[in-house]
Amino acid sequence: MKKSIRHLILTAAAAASIAAFVSACSPSADSPASSPASDGTQAPSSADARNPSLADGALPDSGKTYTIGIGQFAAHGSLDNCRQGFLEGLAEEGIVEGENLTVLFENSQADGGIASQIVTNFASQKVDLICAIATPMAQSAYGVGRKQNIPVIFTAVTDPVAAQLANADGTPVGEISGTSDKLPVTQQLQMIRAILPDAKTIGILFTTSEVNSLSAIEEYKAAAPDYGFEIADIGISTTADVPLAADSLLEKADCITNLTDNTVVASLPVILDKAAKKNIPVFGSEIEQVKIGCLAAMGLDYVALGRQTGKMAAAVLKGEKKASEMNFEVIEEAAFYGNAKAAENLGITIPQDLASSAKELFTEISQ
Amino acid sequence: MTLFLGIIEEGLIYAIMALGVYITYKILDFPDLSVDSTFPMGAALTASAILAGISPVAALFLSFLAGAAAGCVTGLIHVKLKVRDLLSGIIVMTGLYSLNLRFAGGRANVPIFTQETIFENPFLGSVVPQGLTAFAVVLILFFIVLVCKVLLDLYLNTRSGFLLRAAGDNETLVTSLAKDKGTVKIAGLAIANGFASLAGSVYCQHKGFFEISIGTGTIVMGLASVIIGIQVFCPDHRPYLFRLFGRTIGMRPTTAVIAGSIIYKACISLAISLGLEANDLKLITSMLFLIILVISAQRRKKVKAHA
Amino acid sequence: MLKLNHISKYYNAGTVNEMCLFQDFNLSVEKGQFVSVVGSNGSGKTSMLNIICGSIPVDSGTIYMGNKNITPLPEFKRLRSIGRVYQNPAMGTCPHMTILENMALADNKGQSFNLRPGIRRQRLDFYREQLKTLGLGLEDKLQVKAGVLSGGQRQAMALLMASMTPIEFLILDEHTAALDPKTAETIMELTGKIVKEKKLTTIMVTHNLRYAVEYGDRLLMMHQGKSVVDITGSQKAEIRIEDLLEKFNAISIECGN
Repeated sequence: MKKSIRHLILTAAAAASIAAFVSACSPSADSPASSPASDGTQAPSSADARNPSLADGALPDSGKTYTIGIGQFAAHGSLDNCRQGFLEGLAEEGIVEGENLTVLFENSQADGGIASQIVTNFASQKVDLICAIATPMAQSAYGVGRKQNIPVIFTAVTDPVAAQLANADGTPVGEISGTSDKLPVTQQLQMIRAILPDAKTIGILFTTSEVNSLSAIEEYKAAAPDYGFEIADIGISTTADVPLAADSLLEKADCITNLTDNTVVASLPVILDKAAKKNIPVFGSEIEQVKIGCLAAMGLDYVALGRQTGKMAAAVLKGEKKASEMNFEVIEEAAFYGNAKAAENLGITIPQDLASSAKELFTEISQ
Repeated sequence: MTLFLGIIEEGLIYAIMALGVYITYKILDFPDLSVDSTFPMGAALTASAILAGISPVAALFLSFLAGAAAGCVTGLIHVKLKVRDLLSGIIVMTGLYSLNLRFAGGRANVPIFTQETIFENPFLGSVVPQGLTAFAVVLILFFIVLVCKVLLDLYLNTRSGFLLRAAGDNETLVTSLAKDKGTVKIAGLAIANGFASLAGSVYCQHKGFFEISIGTGTIVMGLASVIIGIQVFCPDHRPYLFRLFGRTIGMRPTTAVIAGSIIYKACISLAISLGLEANDLKLITSMLFLIILVISAQRRKKVKAHA
Repeated sequence: MLKLNHISKYYNAGTVNEMCLFQDFNLSVEKGQFVSVVGSNGSGKTSMLNIICGSIPVDSGTIYMGNKNITPLPEFKRLRSIGRVYQNPAMGTCPHMTILENMALADNKGQSFNLRPGIRRQRLDFYREQLKTLGLGLEDKLQVKAGVLSGGQRQAMALLMASMTPIEFLILDEHTAALDPKTAETIMELTGKIVKEKKLTTIMVTHNLRYAVEYGDRLLMMHQGKSVVDITGSQKAEIRIEDLLEKFNAISIECGN
């Protein structure tokens, strides 16, 4: 029946029109394929970057233009910061989005199947480089990139060696390199000891299915005795487990510290609320967590991490270095972030030397 | 070209799973959600097996068998414990999530980039000329899918296969034939989940790693492939109805399901190319579902009116 | 041949809706007997068939087939030696399978459903021959799906399929009720022929008093879980529709209908 074909076409057309409709009415949906002047150019606010004149702006002298694909595994604060920093890092090296750089951006919403298809899509559009944010995306990107000879630069991969994205000695396994967001565990323990001289037990909530959390817990357990702490950890499997697990953890622990565990971080407000009722301090692992009410954190600056990654990507794009010639990098220095309002609520004073070294000290809790 | 090959590759991998969903959804009329976890189970087992030094081909068989066992569990829960079909699938799906993490050695992410797989091994390296490796991958996938399809077609024409089809068509008749319809259902679920798990194994070897999140929405993909394939290429289970440029093209339901899987992946790829965010994709999928179901329902009404 | 001993069956036992269906019901059917069963709605005719086949369990009592106690056996095991045709023509065939495939399925009853080819080529002529006896021209439509056949055609096939393999017992559950009078007539003639040829012990439930009178060598009228009329031999041969109708009305008036 010809009807069958007609239905097929109709269906495809319907899907396409829905697609167009959704992308048109969703302000956050980037449509890089259709317009090179998509958002995210240096400025964190996308509204400013949607400037059509940028698209026809004069190209820099080199005249070479690049197309890269950024694949982000999930949408949350730190990963978004990574992407922002990455574009900044590229810009510092003279590769500016909208001028000599076209960015294709996709977010897989934590869906592994979609992640691989996003990367395949990048490959088919002949990108010069794939930037993969978070471990599963980096693995998908490497899986495709190595077959298509597309270099991959990753960031926010906690343990590139365990993910087989780097050899044990830190050298690349192929045309892939990037930055790791390994937690500065010892600095964090040091900081907690400084703020809470009498605390004995640190509680940690983590998702059993997140590899990064597992390795972080191991590290905490190994390092805690050096600072006179014990670690009490509770594993959860879904967001729904958080309230009960938090209750049980708050029974045992003198304070709580967070990892970069996606599930737990997403439920952080619940934990903060429960902890506040029992007057137990909660420490974060990065700036976004402190902003919403964690007492303090020795954390990574994900924007800085992204910027560092962007510079590595720029070197690859310009042909100065190959990805296979660069070992993956880690940010050594952790910065102190504190929340004065949270401290006040708990009746705790942040030691002067920490407060003065703070990269950022929030005076209110943002919701 | 890359995009085209990419779509074919993805489509073929998921086609194996879709063949399984065809058995449960179309033949047995059993909405089996357990594939959402048997798919990653195949991947988890394969990653662990390959790391333990088991050959990649053996990992395929191992995955199939493990999937079949999981399908049996779904069936037993439904048949022996009298739990409703949808719920028994959900029970197995939920329980297997934890088991899958154990199969993967307690990790949610197991890379096997450096290991030999069916797509990357010294033998292939010596046979396939450089530059043609992309085609080799498609060929291997095509071969696996073809074997699955032919075996399934052959099976459906055995006496056991007849009974399976009868079980979905008319349970009473199975009883009349002095056969336990429960056993037949369990067998069908075992084969279906075997296919899903096998697809997971192929997926893992193709991508080079196992990740716990890959199972999300497997059943949706499978259903989409089956519904698109069957409705477009062989409506009402009648083959030889699809005409292209005036020629009648014969297509068995199993072939249609494979085609459906590729079409589905092409639609997703199209949506991504249009710059869609992944969370909107689910909406597209559901819309696609709805449109196809409504159109086919209308057509059926018309056929009836003419009869 | 078949014996129902002291059968009791309640529905919704222990609730306010408790309903007694059978209380100490007994029935014995001789080998080769063709029993016609009539009775008003809710008199327990179909329930009796369901109890024999094991579709519903009994609360107490035993069922013997030959010398074997089949009470604990599940439905599918009992149906090994029983052929059953339902009121709904759709119940006896697989709509999405071809006539040939349906015949092959029925032909395999009692054997193992293994991995050998579903259709045995050497049996094709046998199937055609069998279908020919129906006189519906189905022998030329082997590749047609059973689902496109009319109710009468399907019921004829169902009858054929139910009696194709050696069985001891044939159960007909109002198998002409959903058909038009002419088709019903054809199906009944066919039934008579098959029962006679294969010498099957048969129980036929029907609402058609004429069929009950014309067919079979024993007549049973059921009312409220009891057999109120049970005649055989010359008595059965002499009974007329009018007599039966009279009895029927008497019962109904008693019930207030």
